[in-house]
Amino acid sequence: MEGRLANSWRLTVNDKNFIKTALLSEIRIDGRKPYEYRKIAIKFGREDGSSEVQLGQTHVMGIVTAQLVQPYRDRPKEGILSIYTEFSPMADPSFEPGRPGELAVELGRIIDRGLRESRSVDTESLCVLAGKFVWAIRIDLHILDNGGNLVDAANIAALAALLTFRRPECSLGGEDGQEVIVHPPEIREPLPLTVHHLPIAITFGFFSNESILVIDPTHNEEAVMSGRMTTTVNANGDICAIQKAGGEGVPQRVIMQCLQLATAKAVGITKQIKEAVEVYNTERALRKIKRHPTSTSVNVREKQNQSIGK
Amino acid sequence: MEQKQSNSPASFIDSTVVPGDVVLDLSSMTNQTVKLGGGLRQDCDAISAMKAGTLRFSKPNKYWVESSQKRNFLIDVKGPAVGFLPVLAFEGGTRRNIPKFEVGTLLYLRVVKANFGMNPELSCTDAGGKAAEFGPLKDGYMFETSTGLSRKLLSSPTCPVLEALGKKLSFEIAVGLNGRVWVNAASPDTIVVVANAIMNSESLSGAQQIIMVEHLLKSIQ
Repeated sequence: MEGRLANSWRLTVNDKNFIKTALLSEIRIDGRKPYEYRKIAIKFGREDGSSEVQLGQTHVMGIVTAQLVQPYRDRPKEGILSIYTEFSPMADPSFEPGRPGELAVELGRIIDRGLRESRSVDTESLCVLAGKFVWAIRIDLHILDNGGNLVDAANIAALAALLTFRRPECSLGGEDGQEVIVHPPEIREPLPLTVHHLPIAITFGFFSNESILVIDPTHNEEAVMSGRMTTTVNANGDICAIQKAGGEGVPQRVIMQCLQLATAKAVGITKQIKEAVEVYNTERALRKIKRHPTSTSVNVREKQNQSIGK
Repeated sequence: MEQKQSNSPASFIDSTVVPGDVVLDLSSMTNQTVKLGGGLRQDCDAISAMKAGTLRFSKPNKYWVESSQKRNFLIDVKGPAVGFLPVLAFEGGTRRNIPKFEVGTLLYLRVVKANFGMNPELSCTDAGGKAAEFGPLKDGYMFETSTGLSRKLLSSPTCPVLEALGKKLSFEIAVGLNGRVWVNAASPDTIVVVANAIMNSESLSGAQQIIMVEHLLKSIQ
């Protein structure tokens, strides 16, 4: 019995009451204003298509890989996009290893819907040989630390990884043009994916007293709040997806308010992601220059001695 | 299940009983009105013991089982094992006035015993049995820090961050050696400032802590 108690983290009665009373004066426990986001830090790994995002205490890693597969029968000219989430037990004592729980499935679905329904990743450009070979893009999201608001952080990680991913270039060859030759990265420069726009997920938390609204709830606020909603919008103001799974009911004007707030935030976050990807791309280009030394070193002393005739 | 032959009640009084022993047989007693105390249960005519202990009797007709088992509250002390707080470990605590705590109550406690492999034993009184500020904490906000920082906060002379905060703000804190700190003040923004100042002072030197506190206080004014 004591083992079970150790796994169930609980907020004290004092904390629950304090979070709610402080919100009445528009104060959050980490000093933020209700509509303020935590600091977002985006880092990239050595490989193309691996990103690490930190949103306050929340830490998510995204990895993109691609494979040549047969397309779905009803979509022979489109590539395949799939998202896998892994909620590591080191992120939170309540995460169990093995089959993804409800939260993991929901997170995967929200990000998947945001990318797929809005057609942000161009799947037609992933087609190599219609009906036979297409690229299947697989996004793996690893939750490393749960500090609250996993959806937003995971979404940014997925987008950052997609923008920096490069797939190998391939061409058709063979006698009948039905063979696919995949060129290794040293021979032909791998190509980036075509991403039309960036759908940003923004999560809101609702509290029952005085219908208070916060953006980007932390872990403690999530334990106290009575409802949540995730809106996926892009910087152009298009609404890509809305997810509100149960929780307290909210009036329509609150939803409209949330969408307006989300669009304003999405502009800032999109800019931040694009800037981070820019920095990564310039670094990558510099690395490529160093990778191929074309000049061989010459021993000047020896040459001098030879010419003098010693 | 076979019922044991019930002996006369006199032979069980003041002797050890274990759960299942039939200590009284009402059919064989002259006075059938009996008061049952703790640890005894009635099954039609047979009274059997539910706890292990000594059967006691007081005139005219009261029977109960006395044992030295303690009932405990299970307390999360942020350690490898759950801590035991005996229900009587309060000032003036008797079996009749056991406090009722709801799940999630925050308590300031003293560790009586903490041995390897055993659950730590806690108490809400000091060594002399007085309450001395131990017990449930009302309102305020609790956050977690490292044990190193909580030792710094408890050191004397006063830690620089607490001194700098105390010069401008009025608040009360309770610091646990297990890395939990509770803050209470009149207004929520004071509590938030104090909590964030303490959390930020983890890896700062004394002078840096004072600068950090000044920075924080200026930003809220």
